[in-house]
Amino acid sequence: MTPRPAPNRRELLQGTLDMLILRTLLLGPAHGHQIAKHIQRTTEEVLQVEHGSLYPALHRMERKAWIISKWEIAQEGKREFKYYRLTKIGRKQLASEESKWKQLAKAIALVMSPASSEE
Amino acid sequence: MWHWLRAQLSLLFRRRDLENDLQRELQSHIDLEAEQQQEGGASEDEAHYAARRAFGNAALVAEDVRESWSLAWLAHFFRDLRYGARTLRKSPGFSAVAVLTLALGIGANTAIFSAVDALMLRPLPFTSQDQLVRIYSIQSGITDTFGNPNGPSAPDVRDFAQRSQSFQNMVVYDTWRKNIRFGDSAGEPEQMRVGLVPAAYFQVLDLSPLMGRLFTADENQVGKNFVAAISSHLWKSRFAGDPSILGRQIRINGEPYTIVAVMPNLIPEWVESGRLGTVEIWTPFAFPDVWSESSRGDRGYLALGRLKPGVSLEQAQADLSVIANALAAAHPVDQGVAVSLKKLADTRVGSLRPMLFPLIGAVSLILLMACVNLANLLLARNAARQRELAVRAALGSPRGGLVRQLLVETLLLSLIGAAAGLLLAKAALASVMRLHPEDLPQLDSIAIDWRVLVFTLSVSLVTAVLFGLAPAVIATRVNLVDALKLGGRWGTVGETGQPMRNVLVVTEMAMSLMLLVAASLVVQSILRLERQNLGIRQDHLLKGHFYVPDVRYPNPASIARFCDEFANKVRALPGVIDASVTTIYPPNNGWTQMLGLPGHLVTRIQDIPAAQFGVVDAHFRATLGIPLIRGRDFTESDSASSPPVALISEEFKRRYFPAEDPVGQQIHVGPPQFLQLPPGSGVSDASDVTIVGIIGDIRNAGLALAAEPQIVVLYSQHPLVNYGFKNIVIRTALEPSSLAPAIRRQLHDLDSDMPFAEVQTMEELVEHQAAGERFAAVLLTLFAIAGLVLVVVGIYGVVSFLVVQRNQELAVRIALGASHANVLWLVLNQSLQMAAIGAIIGLLGSWAAQRLTTGLLFGISPVDPATFATGAALLLAVAAIASAIPGARVLRIDPAQTFRQD
Repeated sequence: MTPRPAPNRRELLQGTLDMLILRTLLLGPAHGHQIAKHIQRTTEEVLQVEHGSLYPALHRMERKAWIISKWEIAQEGKREFKYYRLTKIGRKQLASEESKWKQLAKAIALVMSPASSEE
Repeated sequence: MWHWLRAQLSLLFRRRDLENDLQRELQSHIDLEAEQQQEGGASEDEAHYAARRAFGNAALVAEDVRESWSLAWLAHFFRDLRYGARTLRKSPGFSAVAVLTLALGIGANTAIFSAVDALMLRPLPFTSQDQLVRIYSIQSGITDTFGNPNGPSAPDVRDFAQRSQSFQNMVVYDTWRKNIRFGDSAGEPEQMRVGLVPAAYFQVLDLSPLMGRLFTADENQVGKNFVAAISSHLWKSRFAGDPSILGRQIRINGEPYTIVAVMPNLIPEWVESGRLGTVEIWTPFAFPDVWSESSRGDRGYLALGRLKPGVSLEQAQADLSVIANALAAAHPVDQGVAVSLKKLADTRVGSLRPMLFPLIGAVSLILLMACVNLANLLLARNAARQRELAVRAALGSPRGGLVRQLLVETLLLSLIGAAAGLLLAKAALASVMRLHPEDLPQLDSIAIDWRVLVFTLSVSLVTAVLFGLAPAVIATRVNLVDALKLGGRWGTVGETGQPMRNVLVVTEMAMSLMLLVAASLVVQSILRLERQNLGIRQDHLLKGHFYVPDVRYPNPASIARFCDEFANKVRALPGVIDASVTTIYPPNNGWTQMLGLPGHLVTRIQDIPAAQFGVVDAHFRATLGIPLIRGRDFTESDSASSPPVALISEEFKRRYFPAEDPVGQQIHVGPPQFLQLPPGSGVSDASDVTIVGIIGDIRNAGLALAAEPQIVVLYSQHPLVNYGFKNIVIRTALEPSSLAPAIRRQLHDLDSDMPFAEVQTMEELVEHQAAGERFAAVLLTLFAIAGLVLVVVGIYGVVSFLVVQRNQELAVRIALGASHANVLWLVLNQSLQMAAIGAIIGLLGSWAAQRLTTGLLFGISPVDPATFATGAALLLAVAAIASAIPGARVLRIDPAQTFRQD
């Protein structure tokens, strides 16, 4: 048996990454590199995602039919990239993840700064 | 859903494409990153390096992605399977007990299922088998010894066929015992059962000859009927598959028959089992006068029909009932005779039906007990593995994964158990076949085929899931901290599941008791059945059958002469005390004869007095050892020329002469005038006899039923009913079967073409009569023993576990002054309490299940108190012994040592 990280932590990370990817794809189809760059940029480089770690997540989500993929020629060049696109199921999934995330964020905010929420 | 399905399918079938695709995708990413780095001013090498660093370990990423492709559950399953196999190998004791337990349960079920399959489920070898029906006549509710209603008469069937709208075709036929000689062989003549059938018999069954032709209509006339069809089995075994078989001859009852057809071996034995014996030779349906009006009351033929497509059994039944009513109105002899249809397939269970359901119940119990034991073993074992499980949970195995792992182990056990069970079932079936009495021809078709394999496999899967799940769930309900902190003294953490184990063992004991009670009841009834007083002296009695063919013995006088001569020669043999030629011997029934009694005026067929009829010689009573109650026995001076005389049984007197003395009274043997039956038609006599004596009752309606009224007359005085079918019973001074060869020689001295058949001692006959019940008793007893073994395993497991678990507590008690005996009692007490509860539940269960066993019982109540009490006592004793053995370990507890260990 290969030792694995504790299940809970892993699930949390995985879920968050999934949500970030889905959120990115909400803006339109994108390939892996674009997604990685977008996450880095929008989080102001706070989340240093190892680029490679996106791919297992992408493929897993494709298996669950949250996203679908297609090889397309990039607009700016002659090269082909594999573009991912959100499906209907993916949108639903994103909505539910987002609401869960908001609840969690709110809860954490309540704990961290009780005063601000009273205002 | 569509996207999902496509994704799964591509995983299954497009592995290579996926791999290429992935490499290309990752490469495009790294290339793009490197390009952008270069645009930012890095050298080509630097850019490449940076791009790879930003990406992370590409090989690991690819591996991770690939894992998301694999049908993950399958991969996990195989990993669990490997792991499971390893763990099972590491604890061979546990594995062996578990596999053995399962093998017992699954094996018993496989064996019984294959029987049920052969007897009830498997389709018949005939086309559109649902269209095939048997046609019976029911005369005021009387059924034959096989529980089937009686057969119809030929004229009735002809009228059914002509007037009904429901049938494609219909056939009336019969099977008779005949003397057979193959070719010119000098060997012994044989008695075989011959089918007397028109071509329609094969047409109804939709069978065509492998070679040759069916009988013509012409050949169904007496005198033109010397043609025969043989089965392909007979063709191969007796004629070595001779290709020029057609045209060869066999001798039937001394007359040559030309073989005109070889029929496929498709008619299972049970199709004619109502008449005992396989039919391998068929000759045309040629009986003198069988179609004439005088034969309308001559019932007992066999009849088959094929329904028109789309016609239901109920419709056909209604159709024929209307015709039967019309026939009853037109013919006095058909009054009160109803018609009854049964699907051919439904008649195949026959005499085995009453025992099938108790046996199914019994094996289900065995399987349940095996499963309970398995669950028990698993609980104990999983408890012992708490530390391992805790460690794995701590290392990150999700609980679902652990449960799955444990389940896979159970599955593995149960598959191995199923394989072992299959072998066990095969061996068991083989030995049952070997011991099986020829009275149960249905058993011959039992085999382990794919249907049985599917059954076994499903049973083992269901077993694994149902009985592996609960223990696995319980075991993984681990408190990590506690399990690890307690330093792995598994006895302490192993509390898990103990209440459930106790409940399971109690259930198991209850089921075992039910089996014990059932087996013991059936065995007791067999013993009672076989010790039935037949009304004769059963010991030192031999019986055999011979047929005096009308070719060489054309009239009743010549038959009588032959029989007398034969009996005289047998009486002269050393070791023979007496002998009698007879049509009857207990416990079989002969035929029912209608009577006319003085002062009994009857107008309806239902009111005609009737009795079991025997046509015998003067030595009948003395040979069988039936007591003479009043009057006199037959004597040698009662002859063809003297006035006819008869003996009646006590039951006959009770029923028909309740107040008067029957001795000296004259009665009429034969149907009354108003039925307009000509003398000698069918099996009816027509003569006046004087009752000269009353004899004791003899069993004449089977072993289990009370004696019917019996009348016996002399064949010398009743030529109308002096047929060629005769039995001889011999009272011997020596071991009876040792005389059979000498008797056969006497018969052959008189007529070398006459086989001496169906030779049995009276004791063997009685045993065979109870063959079905005996078969059930043997199986039930085996099951009961298997059940006890399972209980012992169960109790042993629980108590050993208990002793280890309470080791410390017991040590403290001993240290404080309790004697070892006290402590042992403490342990025994607990298991005896469980056994007591189990016994109570088991007895309640037996009481509730009494309807299942009643059909198999004779002369004993299904809730017999003595049996219940003995069974419960036995269970308690077994429980005490099974727990005393592991319990004895407490005697070796040394407190000092126990405490030091901790």
